[in-house]
Amino acid sequence: MAMGRRDTFKLAGVAAAAAVMPSMATASEKKVAKKATGKSVVIIGAGFGGLTIAKALKKSDKSIDVTVIEKRSMHMACPLSNGLLGGLDNMSLSMFVGDYSQPATKYGYSFVNSEVTSIDRKAKKVTTSTAGDIAYDILVLSPGIAYDYEKQFPKWDAAKIAHVAQSCPAALMPGNEHIALLRQLENMDDGNVYIVPPAKGKYRCPPAPYERTAMIANYLKKEGIKGKVIVLDTRGGKFAKGKAFQESWKDLFADYIEYKGFTEVTDVDPVAKTITYTEFKDADDEKGVSKTEKYEVCNLIPINKCSPVIAMAGIEHNGAGYAMMDGYSFRSKTDKNIYVIGDAVTHKIPPSGQTAIWGAHRAAGQIVAQLNGKVDDPKKGLPAKAANVCFSMVGGKPEEAIMVTHTFSADKSGVLKGKGNVPKPKDGNGKFRSKGTAKATREWFGGVMREMFA
Amino acid sequence: MERRNFLKLSGTSAAAIAIAPSLITKRLYAEDGSLFQTFEKVQLNDAEGNPLKASKLVKEENYVFMYPHAATPAILVDLPEPTGKDIKLKAEDGTEYIFKGGAGEKGTVVAFSAICAHQLTHPQKAMSMFQYVPTTGKTLAYEKPGVFVCSSHLAAYDPKQGGKVVGGPANQGLAQIVLEIDKEDNIWAVAVLGPDKFQEFFDAFKSEHKAEFGRRGAKKLVKTEAKVQTLKNFSAEIIQA
Repeated sequence: MAMGRRDTFKLAGVAAAAAVMPSMATASEKKVAKKATGKSVVIIGAGFGGLTIAKALKKSDKSIDVTVIEKRSMHMACPLSNGLLGGLDNMSLSMFVGDYSQPATKYGYSFVNSEVTSIDRKAKKVTTSTAGDIAYDILVLSPGIAYDYEKQFPKWDAAKIAHVAQSCPAALMPGNEHIALLRQLENMDDGNVYIVPPAKGKYRCPPAPYERTAMIANYLKKEGIKGKVIVLDTRGGKFAKGKAFQESWKDLFADYIEYKGFTEVTDVDPVAKTITYTEFKDADDEKGVSKTEKYEVCNLIPINKCSPVIAMAGIEHNGAGYAMMDGYSFRSKTDKNIYVIGDAVTHKIPPSGQTAIWGAHRAAGQIVAQLNGKVDDPKKGLPAKAANVCFSMVGGKPEEAIMVTHTFSADKSGVLKGKGNVPKPKDGNGKFRSKGTAKATREWFGGVMREMFA
Repeated sequence: MERRNFLKLSGTSAAAIAIAPSLITKRLYAEDGSLFQTFEKVQLNDAEGNPLKASKLVKEENYVFMYPHAATPAILVDLPEPTGKDIKLKAEDGTEYIFKGGAGEKGTVVAFSAICAHQLTHPQKAMSMFQYVPTTGKTLAYEKPGVFVCSSHLAAYDPKQGGKVVGGPANQGLAQIVLEIDKEDNIWAVAVLGPDKFQEFFDAFKSEHKAEFGRRGAKKLVKTEAKVQTLKNFSAEIIQA
């Protein structure tokens, strides 16, 4: 059907009106769209920490008014997603996603799909890009991480960073990056190389790059591709569940995995698909040798930093943006009405999904106590045995996994600290990995999804 | 329908509405303020339908039965030692309840709802990651065996303390299935004490329950008898960390 000029105008008119409306709404609601009730808790971030604490607060005290603000419109979970990349049986994207309205409706909290643009601690309000201002009595920050390409590659300009970030997805923040990696994997062919440079310093999910190494090797083996996974590491084999991973790599994928323990990535050319790095003999070698490798997929995991939301709140944080904590609690050191959970804390506990859930429950207890004029002992229940349980898939046929447990305790340094233990399972025949542990991995994942959504 | 009948019926429905709130939340409070709800009185029988005898129970064996609903598993254990008595416990929402103690001559026979209070892991036919770890066993979840353990996130519960959380991530204990043992040594399940997870369980496993029990079968109350079998018989595989 041909469209006349008048029709075009009409359409343009509608579009213009639609474009104006949200900003008008924002302007009229500028004062305060949502007032605090005296028991209003606003949560920024609907990841593992945010969704857990929203539900936990409503479950322990229905009279608390809870609002969750999240910039994404859909939740995707990160744990177990390496299994999806690795082509494990019975894995699909739908296992990893959830809609925010489900728990919000069930537990009676508000969900606001918008981005936080500023936080005013004095006025106790949060400004959002599309939903006006939201006032709080208690603010919970669960904003997660950001990538720090600038720190790792000071010579790169913004355009280069954007290009590399898109072409070489890190896939620590679930969603688009994982889907891009999945697509890139499909292009792998005989003789191709998949590069994994794990991040230096503190980063989300310490075992992730090494689990991914095993899972990509599994993918190559399963698809009959004579390719290779090259790990350009800085840790000389001393990484999360290191012995357990290396045992599995050697037993299952010796022909597929090449691990280089002392390297430094110096440049990536996403057009030529090459990565340049310096390889050192050992930890003492300062000179090293520069090498360039051609890759098909480059899963560059850059240095992590904290989401800028912590700095936006104007609370004390360390050099990488992670919030300074009030002793063993999950409260900010600076502001008694601000709590921080998930990966954004400076407690020395591993940044994992289960740690985020654990911290969210503790923070919920502390908040409920504060709102009711009581004090919740932040050392209550410490040391907490198996506070973190973290599984990693290491094999596909048969499906096998390894695990680590962490005990969290009150460290002398004044913060929470985790101590890990990598056990050998009863059904592992002396190995770190077992089929039972893989089943536990899937059950673990079902559990954390139920925690947030059921 | 005559008018009098109509009146009678509406009288009944009014009464039902008056009771409804507590039925919906499944929380009937006993006089001492505890979380306590009676269900159908059900006799525990073996696979052949013969009454299970308390004195014949194998010590520290995991016995599975469905109670109080068709899909809600419970585990019965005859502990090596008597449980504690009159133990005060607290649910996640702060409600207190009191565990009176185990059943049987020595107070060693206990049953708990086998749905983990953390994230609902429970014994399934294909496998179980939730069970009582006998005192001869070993677990990562707690310093001592003799506890109920969920191996998916390593929650540990002490049956001697009424299912209290002693390790791992759970925020409240297991719901107890209250048992009675009669003069003939028969075992009966009569009530549920403590914070149950039944509604969350039905919500979370809707599709699995539909496949196994039909659209509404999972919630049906178990009546008259519950068939008991050992966990190793019930689950094809037992995984325990």
